[in-house]
Amino acid sequence: MTQENALKIFKSLSDMSRLRIVRSLTQGEMYTELLAERLDLTPSTVSFHMKKLEEAGLVVSRKEQYYTVYSLNRDVLERSLFEMASSEPEQIDEQQKREEEYRKKVIDSFFEYGKLRSIPVQRKKKQICYEVIAEHFVPGKVYSEKELDDIIAPIHEDYCTIRRDMISEGILRRDGNEYVRIK
Amino acid sequence: MKDFIDYLTRQYEAGREDIAKLESEGCQDEANFAKARTNIYDICRTVTNALADRPGAGTAAVKAQLERFRATWGAALEKAREHGDARNVVIEETKLEALEDVIAHFPEVE
Repeated sequence: MTQENALKIFKSLSDMSRLRIVRSLTQGEMYTELLAERLDLTPSTVSFHMKKLEEAGLVVSRKEQYYTVYSLNRDVLERSLFEMASSEPEQIDEQQKREEEYRKKVIDSFFEYGKLRSIPVQRKKKQICYEVIAEHFVPGKVYSEKELDDIIAPIHEDYCTIRRDMISEGILRRDGNEYVRIK
Repeated sequence: MKDFIDYLTRQYEAGREDIAKLESEGCQDEANFAKARTNIYDICRTVTNALADRPGAGTAAVKAQLERFRATWGAALEKAREHGDARNVVIEETKLEALEDVIAHFPEVE
């Protein structure tokens, strides 16, 4: 376990509602609506808490017909506090970490549910956004202009500008009416 | 309109007490949701104060603005549900719930 994982666990447990959910789950697996009823919370609030507990690895879920059934991940819960407190930090290059954080910040502010809110003015930000859009294209696959536009249009209405910019940024290569992702 | 504004103020004050209580109980995320709910009463109070006595606006303008909020936040809730965004689902539900309460009290004091 890394220090980052341990931090996620401590953060997710430092909330009374989530502790109450974990306590309920010690009695056995449960689905969202049942937990909501037992803890006097709305189902969507329970879902929100379950997502945090799941991200920390404290609970696991499985689908059962219309329900999502949750249970405790004992492998994680049975680890000692000593083990978690003495965990080592993940070995990540500091520069790379800062770049990843910056990238995430740009993506979070310019994209909403996969749609580009606006085309960034700053080149670095623009490049990050275009790299995200490029993920919709298979590298090496040849696309016609229409195919390309059909993919970009649902992401942002100004697909012509984006298409042209992606070529000048070296993300796409144009060969006549054919386009290929090169980055 | 004065009774309506007083109602919004009472709900706002009660909301602030809820936030403090939830924070003291260690329910920070739910305190944040309570903040979203409390803000709605504050926003509606501001809208009412701004529009109610304005010539050419009045109570109909207030009601129309509340309906616009309902449409916008309803669309935001649908979007959050569609994308499985658990946090925003709770926030938008909370906002709409407070707004419905505000709208339900509106005609009584009109």
